[in-house]
Amino acid sequence: MSLTQRQLLLAAAHGEKLDKLPFGARIDLWYNYNKAHDTLPEKYKGWEQTAIIRDQGAGAQSRFHTVVKDKYEGLEVIEKNNPPYVETEYITPIGSVSRRTLFTTAEGPWIGYDTEKMFKSEKDYPIIEYILQHTTPVLDPGFDKARSAVGEDGIMMTGAGRASPAQRIMRDLMGFDKFFYELADHPTKVESLFEVMKDMVRRQHKVAIESDLEIYYIGSNWSDDVHTPVFKKFFIPWFQEISEFLHSHGKLAMAHADGENRRLLPFFKDTGIDIWEAWTPIPMTSVTNKELREAVGEKGVIWGGIPSILFEPTYSDEQFDQYIIDMFKEIAPGYNFIIGMGDNLPFDGDIERLGRIVELIDEHGKFPISV
Amino acid sequence: MSDHSLLSQAVIEGKGDQTAELATAMLNSGTKPQDIISQILQPSMNTVGEKFSSGEFFLPDMLLAARAMNNALAILKPLLDSSGMPTLGKVVIGTVKGDIHDIGKNIVATFVRGVGFEVIDLGEDITDEKFIEAVKENNADILGLCAMLTTTMPSIGSVIKALETAGIRSKVKVIVGGAPVTKDYAVHIGADAYAHDGGEAARVCKELLTAKEAG
Repeated sequence: MSLTQRQLLLAAAHGEKLDKLPFGARIDLWYNYNKAHDTLPEKYKGWEQTAIIRDQGAGAQSRFHTVVKDKYEGLEVIEKNNPPYVETEYITPIGSVSRRTLFTTAEGPWIGYDTEKMFKSEKDYPIIEYILQHTTPVLDPGFDKARSAVGEDGIMMTGAGRASPAQRIMRDLMGFDKFFYELADHPTKVESLFEVMKDMVRRQHKVAIESDLEIYYIGSNWSDDVHTPVFKKFFIPWFQEISEFLHSHGKLAMAHADGENRRLLPFFKDTGIDIWEAWTPIPMTSVTNKELREAVGEKGVIWGGIPSILFEPTYSDEQFDQYIIDMFKEIAPGYNFIIGMGDNLPFDGDIERLGRIVELIDEHGKFPISV
Repeated sequence: MSDHSLLSQAVIEGKGDQTAELATAMLNSGTKPQDIISQILQPSMNTVGEKFSSGEFFLPDMLLAARAMNNALAILKPLLDSSGMPTLGKVVIGTVKGDIHDIGKNIVATFVRGVGFEVIDLGEDITDEKFIEAVKENNADILGLCAMLTTTMPSIGSVIKALETAGIRSKVKVIVGGAPVTKDYAVHIGADAYAHDGGEAARVCKELLTAKEAG
């Protein structure tokens, strides 16, 4: 009996030998944009995205924000809806902080961007630490619903939040510029906040591990902009700790690695991360598939390899085919590789190219791939 | 070590307080503020850009160096004579319509400003019309366009077309960048140049200016 797409992707994620390259596709940006603008291809009008991926013959990557929800105790959270912004104020016994989030469909689905970060100055450290200490994670029941919607067509791409603790501080709470200024000016306070954030994320993972999710994001969307000493100090030990925790429960650790990572590649093998997803090589970054393979070793599972711009009309069908065939040769013999896009089908991408990848896998992607 | 070298080293090492102290000492010893800026601060930021591009420096090194330079500029700028701030040229920069990502654009602006350009940062989610208006108003030498999403990438081409329609395309060089943008794409949409990061953007802007001046 043949394996379902879900079984195939999970087997590949666990490093099991298959008969050909598996393919897990992500199309939510394309789907949400075109559905909202009523520009889905005639054939797919009224279809769900998983069904479209199934029709193209690929496995589905189904994104879900996080399997845990945060509840707060000992503070008041007031949300004001002021479209397109949501303003949130956190009132604690030791002071208040606020943030302003812009909601936009620029990336397809509704996504919030903090246009005003929660951390504004040194006085905010104890307040934010208080909020983190009074955050209680609970399982989000929406996860099970989303998971059953995907069924055997693919796997859920989520975790206990996608970002690592350091990223939550540098990207979500402070913003990059301020994080690095704070690290230079108030290193002890940044490190204290980091410890408190880690405790909170550990609690999230302890709750999330009870879900039946098999693969957990533990980091996402970082790049060389993360200073190497910062990566070594704040990222690697955390990745090691949480990977060991996941492994001890029979789960896998995954990173969403679609940024420019040339300078950080030498440290990837030290992280304990099992799967490098949304992997985006040249020309969207400066790194080749071969270089990533060398960096993560033979056992590291790479998921991706096709830069999203290859799906754009600026690349002809012939150029697309040639890229895919060349990529198969580059990754030969091809084990521990899941074909995917870095990181999404663009809004004006050609959905039929998913089916073309499936055809090319059948023609050229059977194991072991020979050059 | 001379004050000149010490100030340069303080900027490169991102030592903000020291930079301000040394700039003040040089002023007190009679050095003109214009000279401190054009002969020490801007060349020091060039060095930072080169170290970033070569892989020796990382983003935070550049951020701290730029902040250190700004500490000195805060003291020097009010003392500039009528010739004003020494600049290489004017760069208008912004993230295109529909795109509110600012990190990459801010990094590029910091680098380009650091090496001596006057940067007019329009911000994020900028319409074609606003870009055209700013290029005209500022008589810009270079227009920097950033897109971080495949959904907003086509807006770069739209701005370039709008420059043509407004009849000012030949008056301004266009440099583009952002996560999904590639060199091939830059050529495809008719940009003059592409930059992968802030260090490269600063170098390319100087090349574009030279090309523009050469006619």
